[in-house]
Amino acid sequence: MNFTSDLYLIYPEIVLTATLIVVVLFDLIFKRSQSWLPVLSLTGILAAFIFVVMQYGTNLPAFEYSTKNSLLSIDNLSTYFKGIILVTSFFIVLFSIFSSEIKSCKDRHGEYYSLLVGMMIGMFFLVSSNDLILIYLSMELLSLSSYVLSGFVKKSIRNSEASLKYVIYGSVSSGIMLFGISLLYGLTGTTNLNEINTILRGTNVIDISFILSIFMILAGFGFKISVVPFHFWTPDVYEGSPITITAYLSVASKAAGFAVLIRFIKSVFFSGISQGGYWNLLSYFDWQVVLVLISIVTMTLGNFTALWQDNLKRMLAYSSIAHAGYILLGVAVLSDQGITSVLIYFAIYMFMNLGAFLVVMLIANKIGSENIDDYRGLGYSIPFLGTVLAIFLVSLTGLPPTAGFIAKLYLFVALVDAKMIVVAIIALLNTVVSLYYYIRVLKNMYLVKDVIKTVHIQLKPLSFVTILLLVIPVLLFGIYFTPIVDFAKLSIQILGL
Amino acid sequence: MLEQYIPIFLVITIALIFAVVTVFASKIFGPQRPNKSKISTYESGMQPIGTTNERVSIKYYLVAMLFIIFDLEVIFIYPWAVQFKKLFGELGISVFVSMFIFLVVLELGYLYAYKKGGFKWD
Amino acid sequence: MNIYDLIFYLFAALTLISAFFVVTNKNIVHSAFYLLFTFFGVAGIYVLLGADFVAIVQLIVYVGGILILLLFGVMLTNKITNVEIKTGTINIFSATIGVGLFAGVLLAAVLYAPWKVTLLQEPVSTTGILGNLLMNEYVLVFELLGIILLIALIGAASIARR
Repeated sequence: MNFTSDLYLIYPEIVLTATLIVVVLFDLIFKRSQSWLPVLSLTGILAAFIFVVMQYGTNLPAFEYSTKNSLLSIDNLSTYFKGIILVTSFFIVLFSIFSSEIKSCKDRHGEYYSLLVGMMIGMFFLVSSNDLILIYLSMELLSLSSYVLSGFVKKSIRNSEASLKYVIYGSVSSGIMLFGISLLYGLTGTTNLNEINTILRGTNVIDISFILSIFMILAGFGFKISVVPFHFWTPDVYEGSPITITAYLSVASKAAGFAVLIRFIKSVFFSGISQGGYWNLLSYFDWQVVLVLISIVTMTLGNFTALWQDNLKRMLAYSSIAHAGYILLGVAVLSDQGITSVLIYFAIYMFMNLGAFLVVMLIANKIGSENIDDYRGLGYSIPFLGTVLAIFLVSLTGLPPTAGFIAKLYLFVALVDAKMIVVAIIALLNTVVSLYYYIRVLKNMYLVKDVIKTVHIQLKPLSFVTILLLVIPVLLFGIYFTPIVDFAKLSIQILGL
Repeated sequence: MLEQYIPIFLVITIALIFAVVTVFASKIFGPQRPNKSKISTYESGMQPIGTTNERVSIKYYLVAMLFIIFDLEVIFIYPWAVQFKKLFGELGISVFVSMFIFLVVLELGYLYAYKKGGFKWD
Repeated sequence: MNIYDLIFYLFAALTLISAFFVVTNKNIVHSAFYLLFTFFGVAGIYVLLGADFVAIVQLIVYVGGILILLLFGVMLTNKITNVEIKTGTINIFSATIGVGLFAGVLLAAVLYAPWKVTLLQEPVSTTGILGNLLMNEYVLVFELLGIILLIALIGAASIARR
């Protein structure tokens, strides 16, 4: 077996690895020119993005070691999520340039960017891996980098606390997942997802140990996408980490978790496709009930706990838990339409969530606080940032004419089409609840006058452009959403089925 | 193959028995007349300063991490080295290349820790 | 019951008893030393299963490396806040229920699972097999491991230096 002929399929990963090495070496050799590190990372991300775009439409197994058994599957789903991850990383690197938290650790920028690239490599392998060993390892790579990054500003006690909590929860959940993988291996004798599918079709393995192993693996994925009951780390880690990392965790790491969850369900349990694109799954495990229950509990808990939060970052953490609940509903439909809505949701969620975090970061850079009470009257002293934040929050609620409405619309249509009316109504009621806490921020900004202090934020051209890059898609996709929908419909293809 | 391990097992058993027997035998049969200087901590004849469980520097952590990582590196090199001749016949130079990439990536980490002053004790 | 069964029960007993002391001991340093015996017992069981390479790895990495790291960790955090770090037991009732349920499910899973059965065969040395796998099927995993170790090292350096 020689895999050199497969190398062209992992060019994006190779480019990112090369970026990692270049960043590390550059940091060692040119200690004085730290400001070039983000430029290097951006170049690497752009180069990888070009390769990802070129790869779109490829539908091939990479590193195939026997028929139907491959380590990676390069298909449209993985390529789509790689695109999401790269766009998010691009914005995060831009954020890092003007984050005062990151700036305060002047001599450690090399570590920051190399760990960031390390996270990207982990997520890239995670979204396309087709083998449980590779899933576990890439998840470890992703977690390992994010543990360190969430505690990056060492002088801040909040950062260290976040990092410590993240390590403890993360290692326990990855240990549970590894146990589940070992049980699954003991039952089927293979770690390849497609081969497990073949074995499940042939023999009868339905019993308690199989269910247990699936639940344990689900715990690992659930930790990454922070659904109840694996969400306990989320508020503390999101609140404590540097805002750039919080934004990154809430979008990219979640996207990777969802990608691997979708691939796991579909590759392992798929038995056929029925009319309307609904999946027939092998009857060993009732995914639908489990996922629907988890997602309802997740969104309800996320939304209702967010009501009491005074810290904007913590509120956004709970709101991201709630959004994970909505997205999980799209998976729970178990149909091609559901996955399409998940993909649409992610593309839009990326812009609006990153945007909200960016504005919070710019304001926190100036006033040094993320407390909602400190936002009093900010709508008047910084009208531009106030308006932009309002747009992002309205979009997160899911009101027209913003893109968030389109995301929720497609989700609800998928739910109604699948005759899950009750679930759709619960999700709708949840959206109404979420309106309260998003609007509360706006109320503080616009309706409460605070004459004593006025804040002036002089936006640099770069941060201005970044905000525009985020806010224009949110507004544009709210009106002109056909391309993104068509693109998502093309991207649900999973290899091997 | 398991038969090969019987000598090792015997050695472990004998070592355990010997250690336990000598420690407890001296405790049972030997005379015990403790006094203050006998039970005090032995520190090469000096007066002991402080307790034994002091906080150590965070630098030790980096050293221990490096130790584990290069431990793992050796562990991955070993099976490769055992099979090298056979693999080289089958796959040619790519066996060498894959190990080379692995090593370069790891040495980069070593270089990083070194250049960043991870081993400076001041 | 042949000699191998006897050796298995010896190692299993060693693992279980020392693991029990790891959990119940009040002094963390003592717990760490009991952990040494737990790792050692597991290594013995690996040998009996014919996984000789894994047994050696267990000895070198866990007994030799991880345990040192653990002890350093205990010593690094010692007396940070004038509070002696000791382990205690709280919420015995709920913990017993939780652990009991989990243990019951695991036990049921282990006892009734239709494990994939392969024919009994004379164990052979696994080192060469592993070498083949690392260079053939799993060469990508092997390179990824290099990156993971690099990231671990950078992360450790990032945490440890001022």
